[in-house]
Amino acid sequence: MKSMNRVNARLGISFAIIFFAMCSIGCKKLVQVDPPTTSITGASVYGSDATAIATMTGMYAQMSNTGIFIGSSGISLLAGLSADEWTLYSGAATTDTKFYYYKNSLSINPAYGSEFWGILYNYIFACNSTLEGLNNSTALTPAVKQQLLGEAKFMRGFCYFYLVNFFGDVPLALSSDYTANAQLSRTAKALVYQQIIADLRDAQNLLVDGYVKADGITLYPSNAPEKVRPNKYAASALLARTYLYDGNWSGADSAASVIINNSIYSLGALAGANSVFNKNSSEAIWQLQPVNAGHNTEDAWLFIISSTGPSSSYPVYLSNSLLNSFESGDQRKTNGNWINSVTVSGTTYYYPYKYKSATLNAPVTEYTMVFRLGEQYLIRAEARAQLGNISGSQTDLNTIRSRAGLPATTATDKASLLTAILHERQVELFTEWGNRWLDLKRTGTVDLVMGAPGNACAAKGGTWNTNQQLYPILLTDVQKDVNLTQNPGY
Amino acid sequence: MHFTALCKIPLTAGKLLSRQTVLCMKLTAVLILAAFLHVNARTVYAQNVTLKERNVSLVNVLNEIQKQTGYHFLYTYELLEKAGKVDIDVKNASLQDALEKCLADKPLTYSIVEKTVVIKPKIPADIQPAISSSPSLPLPNIDVSITVVTTDNLPLEGASVIIKGMNKGVATDLQGHTTLKNVDPNATLVISFTGYVSQELKINNRVVIMVRLSVSISQLDEVQLTAYNKTTKRFSTSNSNTVKGEDIEKQPVSNPLLALEGRVPGLFITQTNGMPGSGVTVRIQGQNSIVYGNDPLYVIDGVPYASQIPGSGVPNPLGGSGGSVNLPPTLGSPLSYINPSDIERIDVLKDADATAIYGSRAANGAILITTKKGKAGETRVDVNIQNGWGHITRTLPVLNTQQYLAMRREALKNDNLIASANPAAAAPFVYAPDLTIWDTTRNTDWQKVLIGGTSQYTNLNASVSGGTNNFQYLISGTYHKETTVFPGDFNNQSGTLYFNINSVSANQKFHIQLSASYSINNNHLPKADPASNGTAGSDPLLLEPDAPALFKPDGTLNWAPNSTGTSTWTNPLAINYNDFNDITNNLTSSVVLSYKILPGLEIKSNFGYNHMQQYDFDASPLIAVAPEKQPTTNRTGYYGYSNASSWSIEPQLTYTKNIRKSKLDVLIAASIQQNNNDAQYFQGSGYPSDQVISTITSATTVFTVGTSANVYKYAAAFGQINYRIDDKYIVNLTGRRDGTSRFGPNSQFHDFGSAGAAWILSKEDFFKKALPIISFVKLRANYGTTGSDQIGDYSYLSRIFTFNPAIPYQGSSSLAFPALFNPYLQWEETQKLSLGLDLGFFKDRILISASYARNRSSNELLSYNLPLITGFPTVSSNFPATVQNTSIELSINTINIKTKDFNWSSSLNLTIPQNKLIAFPNLATSSYSSTLIIGQPTSIKKLFHFGGVDPQTGQYFVIDRFGNPTSSPNFSLDNYVVITTLPKYYGGFQNSLSYKGFQLDFLFQFTNQMGGNIKYSGNRVPGSFFSGASNEPLTVLDNHWQKPGDIASIGKYSSTSATKSSNALLSDAGYTDASYIRLKNLSLAYQFSGKWLQKSHIKNLRLYIQGQNLLTITHFQGLDPENPGNSGGTSNLPPLRVLTAGIQVSL
Repeated sequence: MKSMNRVNARLGISFAIIFFAMCSIGCKKLVQVDPPTTSITGASVYGSDATAIATMTGMYAQMSNTGIFIGSSGISLLAGLSADEWTLYSGAATTDTKFYYYKNSLSINPAYGSEFWGILYNYIFACNSTLEGLNNSTALTPAVKQQLLGEAKFMRGFCYFYLVNFFGDVPLALSSDYTANAQLSRTAKALVYQQIIADLRDAQNLLVDGYVKADGITLYPSNAPEKVRPNKYAASALLARTYLYDGNWSGADSAASVIINNSIYSLGALAGANSVFNKNSSEAIWQLQPVNAGHNTEDAWLFIISSTGPSSSYPVYLSNSLLNSFESGDQRKTNGNWINSVTVSGTTYYYPYKYKSATLNAPVTEYTMVFRLGEQYLIRAEARAQLGNISGSQTDLNTIRSRAGLPATTATDKASLLTAILHERQVELFTEWGNRWLDLKRTGTVDLVMGAPGNACAAKGGTWNTNQQLYPILLTDVQKDVNLTQNPGY
Repeated sequence: MHFTALCKIPLTAGKLLSRQTVLCMKLTAVLILAAFLHVNARTVYAQNVTLKERNVSLVNVLNEIQKQTGYHFLYTYELLEKAGKVDIDVKNASLQDALEKCLADKPLTYSIVEKTVVIKPKIPADIQPAISSSPSLPLPNIDVSITVVTTDNLPLEGASVIIKGMNKGVATDLQGHTTLKNVDPNATLVISFTGYVSQELKINNRVVIMVRLSVSISQLDEVQLTAYNKTTKRFSTSNSNTVKGEDIEKQPVSNPLLALEGRVPGLFITQTNGMPGSGVTVRIQGQNSIVYGNDPLYVIDGVPYASQIPGSGVPNPLGGSGGSVNLPPTLGSPLSYINPSDIERIDVLKDADATAIYGSRAANGAILITTKKGKAGETRVDVNIQNGWGHITRTLPVLNTQQYLAMRREALKNDNLIASANPAAAAPFVYAPDLTIWDTTRNTDWQKVLIGGTSQYTNLNASVSGGTNNFQYLISGTYHKETTVFPGDFNNQSGTLYFNINSVSANQKFHIQLSASYSINNNHLPKADPASNGTAGSDPLLLEPDAPALFKPDGTLNWAPNSTGTSTWTNPLAINYNDFNDITNNLTSSVVLSYKILPGLEIKSNFGYNHMQQYDFDASPLIAVAPEKQPTTNRTGYYGYSNASSWSIEPQLTYTKNIRKSKLDVLIAASIQQNNNDAQYFQGSGYPSDQVISTITSATTVFTVGTSANVYKYAAAFGQINYRIDDKYIVNLTGRRDGTSRFGPNSQFHDFGSAGAAWILSKEDFFKKALPIISFVKLRANYGTTGSDQIGDYSYLSRIFTFNPAIPYQGSSSLAFPALFNPYLQWEETQKLSLGLDLGFFKDRILISASYARNRSSNELLSYNLPLITGFPTVSSNFPATVQNTSIELSINTINIKTKDFNWSSSLNLTIPQNKLIAFPNLATSSYSSTLIIGQPTSIKKLFHFGGVDPQTGQYFVIDRFGNPTSSPNFSLDNYVVITTLPKYYGGFQNSLSYKGFQLDFLFQFTNQMGGNIKYSGNRVPGSFFSGASNEPLTVLDNHWQKPGDIASIGKYSSTSATKSSNALLSDAGYTDASYIRLKNLSLAYQFSGKWLQKSHIKNLRLYIQGQNLLTITHFQGLDPENPGNSGGTSNLPPLRVLTAGIQVSL
């Protein structure tokens, strides 16, 4: 019993020692954790070239993965539905987002029409955050830092371009400070354009002529570039478009010329080996590499209608108004070049066939085209027409027409040329990046084309209201940011 | 050592048991301390005594006799010391003979009570007659030796022994022993101990007194667990409740939380859906945080347990448990992996007094789960077999084919459209397969087909328990299986092994307890809830009644293609081919070591380790894809692997001292906890066949969807003082300092504290005299601060994650910004005030308890809403507002009838909760300006005021803010009607009746609340077609608009969006009363008795039937009022009605 007591006493003492040892361990240590192992903490991202580059690569990968830049919720589809490019199959549900775009009946409740808002601002946050990180970093290789600054500025301009065109005046967030951003009010469209132009001019200066590999420095060989990161000419292409939209005709002329005059770009063929929409085609200025398993472009996946005809998987086909706008002999419409068709139960449905590969697990031969040379010719043609350079304008327009197997334009004055160019844009750039919708809006023809009796909106079974040319701003954002106002009519 | 008590071992099982004992002890010893082994490993018994000793102390001799016989001895050391040394020589003598020999010529005698030998002094012959013949003569004072034991002869340490009428009291020591010196031999002693019936007895000139206290049956004296201690309702200063294992056992539920529904005031429980393993949201006294971080702390045997399953993110049908800002919080409830049959009791701690001790982790209350422990006594084998069936509780009346077709045709007529079989038909034709392609003579009740099946419920449990006074064990195994009400072979199976070892050293000073439970759970379900609204093509409420047959004549899935080969519907059984499989292995374990250093001073430590390992798998096979989409669809598999482990150490030092009539309890303790969660989520594609999707290596492309690794550390030091004066006044003070890893270095630590007091009025003499029917009155109050760190790990850090699509961009790795971060995060603070009154009438036969609680949370941690122009919808932030939750809780417990054969007791509880935003600086300019109103609950809905149906147009209209009717209201300004779906009041009414061997228990649960009105279901307009979701509830036929001039309650049918149903849906008419009364649980049992049982060695035989959710009384039109959903009113698979029968045998 005595020895037991001693054992117990010893036990007690050792307990007490453990107890007080625990209590006296530095409290701080007990709640200190190492940074997480599955993520990189903010500051260190910009501490090495590889991780800094990966932030921009991540943006392109996300653009190509899902969301508003591709496929079934992409700008090409939804903005095209708003315009007169598509017919939505009649089985589409009234709860379908596409239904509201198609009928030009967007509303804040049910909330249809704000799909682009949050995603574009999410990319803008990433750009702002990256720009801040890069500017504060001293550890990066200067060339890499310069490339990334250029890419981030380009991407910010790219996002604001679509924001301002879809929504009108928009809040201009230029930092990652959410407390400030949460209270932003709308900035006038002209000032947003100023910012876009400033960003793109910076990007032009920062980016290189060639296409860089994933290391941010090494260039792809000029005969086999992967055009999946923006370069100087991608910035120029968007700058040319922005000038055009903003009415700076000489700016548009010169920015487009920079690209057109560069021998690394040339117009591709409508189909075949040097097809425009092939990956790394000679016409491509910037493309997105597909990232989804077994798929080529998501646009091909959505647009190319299978033999069962339109359905929820293939919800759209080309509208009669678009099909009818092609001149006879236009090679873009014929021979299965850029338009193809499927006949189901006696009805023929036409679909865009710019992207041709929609077979599961087929080799990747096509990339999603963002900017291409063809558009630059049309930008310059329009800018030149506006500047009174009629012959220059005709030359550029005819370059595009001749590829399509069409004779030279008959337009000989500014007004008729502008009409011809708008028409040429319709048949050249159809179902690409909502060009048609934006063209109608910027040229002031939207009310006429959409709204006149028997015109596009009526043909779609909707009723045109001029307020519909601006999409509604996300209701919850208007509610959360007291300084943010809604677009008229919503 | 003054006193000793040796093991009591049943003689029949002695040998077998001792071997087990040794084995178990070895195990324990290896785990803890080898030195401990020799203390206990000695228990070989003989019937008779063989002893040969010369000149040894009597103590040693008695010890030896104890060893040989197993008889328990009670004596005082002084008494034996005085008796001097003895010589003894006996061989194979009986116990009595041996004792006679020992005590011959000593001033001692003995008596044997059951298995206990009491050694006492011989009373001198000349004193004895003096007591009886001359009671009037004052006797000389004596020293009395008192031993207090339980009815099982276990010593009670700390029992209070008071001389009645004198301000003099002592407490018993480890062996239940104490000595009163110099007392009047005719005095009366009052002996009391927490949780036991107090006894009064006269000394009657006895010098050795043994008192057996029996466990109190008054509910006031039931033990109540507090954070690190226990008390009784009688002396508690706080508001907490207990649900006992026997009440849990009466309910056929697989998640113990579901057994609490309706039984605890202030506790509101919502089950996400009726699938096994589904999420369960638990709120104690309301929602303190506006969005996240409202989970209570779960503690199993002293070890904190997860309140959310982090999971890997693989899609699953289980639903969430009320939200968390950590990883995807939608993998059901972690408590699903705790076996209800292993639970002894669940204590729900609500207020600051009870929870301040657990600190920030228990800011939203704490739920303490105590598992079953072995009891001393013969080896006991318990077998419980239960089998049953489950069904959905009700179905919703929807249109039949005839009614449906009529609605559709009327809609088309209204739109001037003509139904067509052509999917690309242009106006005036419209594609309508339900009218033109499907067989319109078919009529299917899809609720019956898709969720109308019978689920099987099986629960088998067997346990072995027993032990000695110093060592007890329990081993229990459970097998549980539940199938579903869906067509197809789905089920949830689990096996649990639980054991508990409890050991105390011979001197009662060192105590060790080891509990561990390991469960293997295999849950196989469809990928999505087949009853869920919004799973296109599989909503049984809204599937068209003329929809095609499920199978083609050849037995394959019917996709009913149109002439072009496009499927006209999504076969609702397709989802059932999308398997979801969750395999969870869950270990919970705890070790408690304690050592009594000095009388009243104890050092103790809990060590806990929990580990949950999960594998989740989701398949998207081609068979579930419409045939025309198969060529362009990849077979896809989703695989999630996750591990969640946590360990905790909680050293404690407690000191208890009885000072005269007062009792002092002091606790100093620390707590250290670490959680490690990691998960990987992969997606595979490119499988050669559907059969091999479950193997990730069969995929040709595998990429990482998500990966996470989180570490959370928590540390705290705290102290508590509890002082009880004369069993009348109780004061309880706690203080603590908490640290967490979830905040930046400058905000990691915070101090919290609480103070509580209670006054037992009924103990006051004036009260006893004035109101004798009132047997108990207690006033209690407490106030304290607590905090919360329930926010995502690392939220204060800027983090950038890898983003890996299937094919890397440029063949290179990429990163993405997942969320905003906030380096200034700090502790949320909650102030809790609790007031209470407890009353007992007629000797506590009626007990009434009323509580008022007020919780105010400020500086709340949550995901603060941001406009998307910031890039993200939310940021983790301290919310600059104060939210108040009040709760009025009332419970009445009555013993209505108590006779020998018939007993009836009832218990009613009622809770009236209220949630209110009381302060929000700059609300008007914040991102909450349109969603919160000061003075209103934080979960309000702002709605239009419904006007009705415009007789001219058939459109729904609302009344705008100027009082004018409008069909196009302003969504920010005209939504001036404010409602909440929080319950107005809820509670339960429980009855327990027994007559001879019969026992009947039933519980009604009731809730008064608002829920979505099915009448204006979904965003669909009645008459529009959206395959798989076009049917409408029967109410759509009520007086609907048909032509201009109609005064109608349902708007114009339309196949387009011409009728804005959103006006009705988002108005006050979109919500309706969803109150209900539900017979939540009924249990009827019969306990056999009779000699034949004993003859067949059966200790207990019980047959029972049990039912859950048996009867529901409600006006609610949706599937189930328990989870009524928001506007639209359709919901997930409701909790099932389960009926089981079982048999329980104890050997």
